[in-house]
Amino acid sequence: MKLQTLRSIIEKKKNKSEFAIITNLSTGESEIFEKDKPLSKEMETHSNQIKEFFKSKKNGVIENTEIFVETYVLPIKVIVVGAVHIAQYLVDFAKSLNFEISIIDPRGYFASEQRFPDMKIINKWPNEAFKEIDTNENTALVALTHDPKIDDPALQHALKKKFYYIGALGSKKTHENRCQRLKEAGFSDEQINLIHGPIGIKLGGRSAPEIALSIIAQLVSETYNKK
Amino acid sequence: MKNSFDEKILEEAHDWVKLNQKVVLATVIQTWGSSPRPTGSRMIVNEKGDFSGSVSGGCVESAVVRECIGLIKDNKPCKKIEFKVSNESAWEVGLACGGEIAVYLEQVN
Repeated sequence: MKLQTLRSIIEKKKNKSEFAIITNLSTGESEIFEKDKPLSKEMETHSNQIKEFFKSKKNGVIENTEIFVETYVLPIKVIVVGAVHIAQYLVDFAKSLNFEISIIDPRGYFASEQRFPDMKIINKWPNEAFKEIDTNENTALVALTHDPKIDDPALQHALKKKFYYIGALGSKKTHENRCQRLKEAGFSDEQINLIHGPIGIKLGGRSAPEIALSIIAQLVSETYNKK
Repeated sequence: MKNSFDEKILEEAHDWVKLNQKVVLATVIQTWGSSPRPTGSRMIVNEKGDFSGSVSGGCVESAVVRECIGLIKDNKPCKKIEFKVSNESAWEVGLACGGEIAVYLEQVN
């Protein structure tokens, strides 16, 4: 691979674009494929198969050829509401995973740069904050404040936008009350049941890093579970 | 849903290049049967034999390192190697899981 190609791959990953690397295994020549951008003459003859790999987000060698396709998908967006202690560990655990995390907390003391260095922090109420983030069914929500004023609007947004994972921190009792409020707000039982509450898989621990680990485990498991 | 858990291996390769090291990318391009790591898994190797990342569960990495050093020495741009089921009674490199993988080596130049 040419150094120049390596550099543009890294650049494209940084800029969060979707692309594929196409390599001719016999010559070692490689190029970058992007939607709506022309391929080289040599690769153009395989464009249908390349697009097929790209669409299904798969890697592999095109049948009966020496062409290898490697697709790069966008990281999954994870919105963490509540810049609390657990969130600090959560961010730490998620570093080696392909998650793009945004933290929302209207409370300035919590959502500080000092507590979350190099993180995207939105120091606003959820309804305002969600205007700044493009969300869809590939987005996950981790609600950690267990304060209805902050968590509820975020949960409502996530349910409406059909996030693939929605988790909310709080005891069983807290969660029952939360479900009741959402019901009163017009959400169906079916929708409300999509919320993982109390959040996380059962690990047994109660410390902040242990809860963060149980949340991350559930998040990864749900990432592979659906679709 | 598909989420390629990004290991930042290409970023690391770039860091190595910046340190004037010769770098070979080793990528799993095909798998048959039960293989430890999926297609697209990658490791990088420099001329000293330092490596990062993986193409299997530790089964064939040492052989890949040797091949990569050879590629640098012979100044070849690329090479394809295949690994099959290991013979447990012999001290040879192979995949204990019974699968097969093809690994593509290419120099960064």
